[in-house]
Amino acid sequence: MRNWKREIILLMTLSLRKNNSGREYGIRFKNEPYLIINIILAGIILLIVLYSRIFSPEKNNYPVVCIHEKLTGEPCASCGLSHSFSLILRGRIKEAYQWNIYGMRVFLFFISQLFMRIIFSWIFIKNPGIHKQLILFDISGSLIIFLMAFIPFIVFIFKWL
Amino acid sequence: MEEVKNDSGQNLGIAALITAIITFVLSVIPCVGLIAIIPGIIAIVLASVGLSQAARNNSPRGILVAGLIIAIIASLISFSQVFVAGKLAHKANKWPGDIQNIVNDVQDNVVKQLEDANISIKIESNGDKVEINSNSSKKDKEQTLEELEKGNNPSNDTIPKKK
Repeated sequence: MRNWKREIILLMTLSLRKNNSGREYGIRFKNEPYLIINIILAGIILLIVLYSRIFSPEKNNYPVVCIHEKLTGEPCASCGLSHSFSLILRGRIKEAYQWNIYGMRVFLFFISQLFMRIIFSWIFIKNPGIHKQLILFDISGSLIIFLMAFIPFIVFIFKWL
Repeated sequence: MEEVKNDSGQNLGIAALITAIITFVLSVIPCVGLIAIIPGIIAIVLASVGLSQAARNNSPRGILVAGLIIAIIASLISFSQVFVAGKLAHKANKWPGDIQNIVNDVQDNVVKQLEDANISIKIESNGDKVEINSNSSKKDKEQTLEELEKGNNPSNDTIPKKK
């Protein structure tokens, strides 16, 4: 009987501690813009994934149309990107490449960013002493991945300027 | 005396930075690059308001400045796409061709409507009436014209000579 009571007390103290740590995390989240930005950006990337999942290439019901093509009548370098994303999510990689040759690298950029937001946030919380270095590393790393993914589009834009 | 610092403008800074990052990514995608100027302007406004608040309350400005710089660069890239579209259209000879097509369509429509329309011209003078209808046959028209020329028509359409 005594053991049973002791176990309950132990569980209650543990749960209280857990609640306190949760509150601490909450306060830290409020005071750290980096964490808030990471969460919002991760949410936006998830929305992009959801968009690609909801709209199907068979029905061709994408709400976003190429403004460039509408204006000029000429297809641009990013035409077919939505189709490509949807096909990648459905595992039809060959067709995705046919729709847009750069679709895969842009998709990988978004997925890498999703993981980076989660991992960097976790490291940020666990290691309070390296915040500045972590943010600098995050910015430089993200910029390099961004350039690697979007360089064909940047070249396309500046070619015509 | 120690300076008092608070987080005024911090939330605006976060909003500005997120909007600026989204604008930056959108601006380099040619399909949606042109409309990226809208979130770009929003980010610039947010960052500017946040900066003014931060300056008043002596709060940190790192995020606000970052948001403002990224938003300005993204907006410039987005705006540059107007020229890209213009040059592409010029190369494809698309816009002038479109305008020409529209003008031709309007001309064709007007001519067609005029051909189809039932036009009648009525001339009334001193109680006398002459009516020429576009639907009337060629013979009728010739007859009316002859009558007018012969003076069978009772109306006198000659201009009196001044004495």
